[in-house]
Amino acid sequence: MSRTRQERVSDVRRLLRAAQQVYAQRSSLVSDLTRATGLSPEGVELGFASLERDATDDEIASLVGAAGDVRHVHVVLSANVFVAPMRALALARAAAPRVTVRPSPRDPVIARALVEAAGDDGISLVEERDVGAIEADAIHVYGRDATIAEVSARARSGTIVRGHGAGLGVAMISPTADLGASAEALSLDVVAFDQRGCLSPRVAVVVGDAERAASFAAALDAALTDLGRRIPRGTLLDAERQEAVHWCDTLAFAGRLWRGPQHAVGLDPGAGLVIPPTGRHVLVVSSDDRAGVAARIAPIRSSVVTAGSDDPSLAQAVAPAHARTARLGAMQRPPLDGPVDLR
Amino acid sequence: MDKGEFNPADAPAVPTDAFRVASVFAFEPDAATATFRTSGTTIGARGTHRMRDVGTYDAAALAFGRAMLAPGMTLPVAVIVVGPSDTEATDSSLAHMDALFARAWGPGGAAATYFVRGGDLDADSLRGRVAELPPTTPTIVLATSFALVHLLDALGQQRLPLPPGSRVMLTGGYKGKSREIEAGALRRAVSDALGVDPRHVIGEYGMTELSSQFWEATIARSDAPQGVYVEPPWARVVAVDPETLAPVGGGQIGIARIEDLANVDSAFALLTQDRVRRVQGGFELLGRAAGAPPRGCSIALDEMLGGA
Repeated sequence: MSRTRQERVSDVRRLLRAAQQVYAQRSSLVSDLTRATGLSPEGVELGFASLERDATDDEIASLVGAAGDVRHVHVVLSANVFVAPMRALALARAAAPRVTVRPSPRDPVIARALVEAAGDDGISLVEERDVGAIEADAIHVYGRDATIAEVSARARSGTIVRGHGAGLGVAMISPTADLGASAEALSLDVVAFDQRGCLSPRVAVVVGDAERAASFAAALDAALTDLGRRIPRGTLLDAERQEAVHWCDTLAFAGRLWRGPQHAVGLDPGAGLVIPPTGRHVLVVSSDDRAGVAARIAPIRSSVVTAGSDDPSLAQAVAPAHARTARLGAMQRPPLDGPVDLR
Repeated sequence: MDKGEFNPADAPAVPTDAFRVASVFAFEPDAATATFRTSGTTIGARGTHRMRDVGTYDAAALAFGRAMLAPGMTLPVAVIVVGPSDTEATDSSLAHMDALFARAWGPGGAAATYFVRGGDLDADSLRGRVAELPPTTPTIVLATSFALVHLLDALGQQRLPLPPGSRVMLTGGYKGKSREIEAGALRRAVSDALGVDPRHVIGEYGMTELSSQFWEATIARSDAPQGVYVEPPWARVVAVDPETLAPVGGGQIGIARIEDLANVDSAFALLTQDRVRRVQGGFELLGRAAGAPPRGCSIALDEMLGGA
């Protein structure tokens, strides 16, 4: 509206420089982040690897193209992983010369640090919790379905509300995959943010028979055990631990369970999908062939935000059209080319 | 445990979710004469409970159901089911139980019994049926909570009084099938609309994976409080810690571990996600355990169930 495309790109690049600064000073943020997120210090360090600090011209052009063009965007950060404010701010700044952001009350650390480091007059932090009091052309809200619905209901008439909801990731292991290498790569995606991200894989579909799926589950158990030594799991809330107990008991009875000190991998030999809770729990299922993978994930299709695979063509062929695709090990690091959630 | 000694509390409980993904029965699949399935609120698969013979289920349900819902009644009486018939909902254990009660307690060859068809409440036919009831013979109404809400909505300000001494069983959650009304408010509204003593509107708690049911005892016992469910002698509900699965102390909230001797061909002990609290004379039902509060943006299990 009031800026050229080049100016919008520059505003995004300024945020990327701010992210580089925040990343360089990350050690000063670790204790606040461990408190806010429940992650271990090592988990926070791993999470920082997902903080976007660079992007190609094409990626930024794509982000700007997807952002819209209005005068004022208000960003509501509710439930998200701790590095997510970067992309949220980049999208909002690409869209508007004026951005106001209300950080998550529970985890305001990175949003505050980025805004401070950016020194951008176009971005300001606000504490106003009532979106009905916000005069913005658009509200970008990151949170649960219920939060998005609430913001939509409260927003002023005429305000565009863009919701970025919760989701999950799915891994697909091709018929030719090296199971050990794939398990090792996937373990990084699982451990990041202790699996609390919308890109976090919670289900792995192995193309092959039940025996191959069991081999992969065992390999993933070993990889998660190994990674858990270097990057310990943080604290789980009572309810998270209780969900984990229920899920583990179900899989131990109905399938097969590899229970590690800080994780669990379950093998479901049947046709059901007992979706695991977050906190480093992965359900492994098998599919006789590539075509069957889509059927396997059909019940959760609408929730899938990303599909990771050792074979990109497999993910592209069977993932829902709205989902991002990535290589295993890179599921938590999508390029800065638009929203994480493309649904 | 000493050799030869069996403590039922030591039996591992089967999580109810296991019925969705595994075959939980101790006989050849071909021998099943009944297969009950949970409603479609789960991801990917419905819980399935197969039975080789429904004889034990039927005997248990009739014995305890009569003791709780129809004590002192001279049978047969008219039985009205505000739910589907067992020929329409062939895999519903609730429809099976309703039909069982209707056949056992109702007059032979009763014509109008079921008033939910194709998922819709037939309120006009129900009104007609109630108008035909003998005015001095109490009747029994078996209904789900959401069907009763639909009935209340259909009645609006009108009342549909049942004969004096009538009883109403309400069961089940809402599962998005109607607006939700708090249990006490629903009981009062039903009592008022149908002209039934509030203590004669009683809750039943059962599940597809079980063969026994639990009831509020306010009809059977004059001193029984509302909201407290009682077990038949062959079943018990233990409140256990959701993490350690050890029984919690009296008065503390836990999740329900249910031991059901009538589950002869499947699992004796089940682990549910329903929150309960043992109190004097029985247990309180406090709803399903809340999912983990959101941290991050990974989708919560409850959200996925809602969207399934």
